Amino acid sequence: MMLALLKTEIFKLFRESKTWYAIAAVLLIELIILVAAYYQGAEILDLLLDNLQQSFYFEGNLLNGNLLLYIILNSLWFNLPLILMIVSSSLITEEYKNGTLKTLMLQAVDKRQLILSKFIASLLFTVMMLLLLMATTFVLAYGIFGTGDLVVYLGTLNFFPSEEAFNRICLAFASGTISMIFFTTVSITLGIFLKESAKTWIASAFFLILSSLLLKANFGWGTVERYFFPKLTNSWQRFFEYEVAATSIIIDNMVLIIYIISVVLIGTYYFKKQDVG
Amino acid sequence: MKNLIGLLFFIFGITSLSAQEIDGDLLKIKSRMDAINEFSAELQLDLDAAFINMPTKYASMHYTKGKDTKFSSDDFVVLPKRGLDFAFSELFEHPFITVDRGIETKNNKEVKVLNVIPTDNQSDMALATLYLDVKNERISASEITTKKNGTYALEMEYPDLDAILPSQVQVSFAIEKLKIPLNFMGSDTDIDRKTMRQMDTKTGKITLLISNYKIN
Repeated sequence: MMLALLKTEIFKLFRESKTWYAIAAVLLIELIILVAAYYQGAEILDLLLDNLQQSFYFEGNLLNGNLLLYIILNSLWFNLPLILMIVSSSLITEEYKNGTLKTLMLQAVDKRQLILSKFIASLLFTVMMLLLLMATTFVLAYGIFGTGDLVVYLGTLNFFPSEEAFNRICLAFASGTISMIFFTTVSITLGIFLKESAKTWIASAFFLILSSLLLKANFGWGTVERYFFPKLTNSWQRFFEYEVAATSIIIDNMVLIIYIISVVLIGTYYFKKQDVG
Repeated sequence: MKNLIGLLFFIFGITSLSAQEIDGDLLKIKSRMDAINEFSAELQLDLDAAFINMPTKYASMHYTKGKDTKFSSDDFVVLPKRGLDFAFSELFEHPFITVDRGIETKNNKEVKVLNVIPTDNQSDMALATLYLDVKNERISASEITTKKNGTYALEMEYPDLDAILPSQVQVSFAIEKLKIPLNFMGSDTDIDRKTMRQMDTKTGKITLLISNYKIN
């Protein structure tokens, strides 16, 4: 039953034109970043390394595929969750809008299984989008710019050899996927509460902006603040610190997974209680 | 005619005086250096600067007298603009005078301290202090102030008593604060302005291990 529901949800998701618009938008943004980097990348690097160039010669190419992958990772981390949240929330808001939930309930579909299948469909879509983004970026970035050392500024200028940079980027994508799943899960739960598409999109955008603002805020709450969800959504960035705090990143991702499960439970509980009619 | 002879004597006198103003020990070292026309070597570079994290890098270098030293590497390397001129050819390129500052002990070694002052405006060097290992006829250390590239200090270590080219060079340099364009930074990168201000000027160090010299 559950598998059948999941298949149906995935079918419905890819039948929606907005899903394909979202995929096209993500790929277009990626392409724009690559084109901009092709023409402006050297200038940005010159600015970054300006005062180092007074004292040093640089042998080798820093404007390479690894740097481009890092720039895309940074640039898409607001655009991508927003697009994913819009698509994911539609899984439930479209049902409310078209009145198809009532029909489903008449067919004796288990409400808990139905909403869980939507959460899982959204999760699969998110993972698929990240894999697509990762594969296309890797092919384009390495194909156009080649490989080379990665330079990242995180308080200090960190240089990583090419192979190490590749591993760190892959790990960042994996950790980032968990953050994306968190945002899409929230958007479905918001959809359950708000029912209307437009309201859910606005609430999703607001949630994303709020998370971004709270990420930078410092309230001095110690451990509570340390594990407050906005602080956990950027664990992927920590793979570019010179010394990777692996245990701390794993703990952060585990806590974020607990947040995801909690959001799913809240959404499921409220959906079950809701009067669909 | 008398005036002309007087002028010639004057010019000759000045030239002789200039020649006497270059330290004899330095001239000996210079002649040893001048004997090197070409060399190649392998480099291991370790950068130690408060705001730069970089793993150990490897490169090879090729020096030909009168030409720019060439470097090549399979990966990205940061090389100091100054301090890789082991033959001190840039230092001796333009006319200069020396001032003897006496004998000092540096790193448990007795060294002769000389100030090298260029007498030509074309030289980028404003002032150099050289620490000469007179006994082994080579330069132990130097502090060089340039017109355009700040001040840097070099400390050399040699593989044996006869060597004229070092096996290890430590280049210390001053570097201004990092200017980071905002669009390059991650969305959650904090700018600690207080720390950035404190970092206005920092010193860095690059240690070069040089091996496999092939001298012609």
